[in-house]
Amino acid sequence: MSEVDGQAIEPQPPILSFEDAGRVHGTGPKAVRALGPVRIDVRAGEFVAVMGPSGSGKSTLLSLAGALDQPTDGTVRVQGWDLSTLSAGARAALRRRTIGFVFQDLNLLPGLTALENVALPLELDGCPLREAREEALGSLERVQMDRLAHRFPDDLSGGEQQRVAVARAFVGPRALMLADEPTGALDSVTGEMVMRLLRKQCDAGRTVVLVTHDASHASWADRVLFLKDGLVVDETRTPSASSTATPLPDA
Amino acid sequence: MSVRHSLLAILAERPAHGYGLKSRFERDTAGIWPLNVGQVYTTLARLERDGLVVPRDDGGGARQEWRITKPGRAALAAWYDAPVAGDPPERDELAIKILLAVATRSADAGRILQNQRTATMRRLQEYTRHRREADPERELPWILLLDAFTLKAEAEIKWLDRCEARLGRRSG
Repeated sequence: MSEVDGQAIEPQPPILSFEDAGRVHGTGPKAVRALGPVRIDVRAGEFVAVMGPSGSGKSTLLSLAGALDQPTDGTVRVQGWDLSTLSAGARAALRRRTIGFVFQDLNLLPGLTALENVALPLELDGCPLREAREEALGSLERVQMDRLAHRFPDDLSGGEQQRVAVARAFVGPRALMLADEPTGALDSVTGEMVMRLLRKQCDAGRTVVLVTHDASHASWADRVLFLKDGLVVDETRTPSASSTATPLPDA
Repeated sequence: MSVRHSLLAILAERPAHGYGLKSRFERDTAGIWPLNVGQVYTTLARLERDGLVVPRDDGGGARQEWRITKPGRAALAAWYDAPVAGDPPERDELAIKILLAVATRSADAGRILQNQRTATMRRLQEYTRHRREADPERELPWILLLDAFTLKAEAEIKWLDRCEARLGRRSG
């Protein structure tokens, strides 16, 4: 706790935290540790990138964060909730209301328009149709896709589909996006547009955890974590905007 | 970097005096490679000796204006026409450091790779931050340079990852 002008300020709890959390597959001599134990806190509004070679635990980390898998040791919390103490139903609800996923293959349903795709998670959550559509339109607007809301995925470019996927991940109250190589199929300029978009969402208070192989995409994040053999071996933060040093390449 | 040809390139547009050349060069290259004005005058003297520039008749001293000659334009065109040689590469301190650490076992190569990756990632984050803040209308030279730096840093990180993978395979 810190004090500002004599007032005690409660630090905001992290939206996502790994408290010595890890995942081991199998038991006995055949047990394979996929992740951890790791300690990671992600605060609301943060953009965190996770890098590391194949098999370093990146996808496991994302699955645990998204409550798709359970840690075998330690605790994973989302918005303060210990995921292991929640019932399966409560976990599913948390996933629908709080967490959006974006994968490389996007998983947009081809038979639904952009708007219907974005509204779907809210409808599944029991939100009245009209309200779900309104929220979806708002989310599409934030990614400048409201104009194309009634197009089907097949009639959109790769970059536009990606925007729709981002809108769906952040529809309604969803505050945490877990993204696994979301720019894999895009050319570099479009990939950078997506990073700019994620950056903007974080600057507006949403949170992104991005798994990527691409260092230049990772460099859009506030923090980059390097995983190796299931552990965080390194972490870099973006230098603060107040630093005025001119970046020079090695001469 | 060729100061000679840079000055010829600027003079090819219009005559200029020494200080004007310095500021114009720095503006067009986003201020990344500061030129000292003494270097500009020495280079102008050599260009004059080689017949590539001549002083304009009037003036003199620091306000002396220079203009490019016909042989000067030819030298400039030859410079633009010749692709920059990338081979053999310049002596690369990082590569030498890592190769020697691996070959002589005088240091832990894995640690060097990791330290370097952290530093390069930080540099990359800084480039990205500058790109986010750059005005695409007014700061085009700066943005083009940042693209170049970004891609080089990205390539360096890829190379470090690859070194790590190859060394891991060898020891594992």
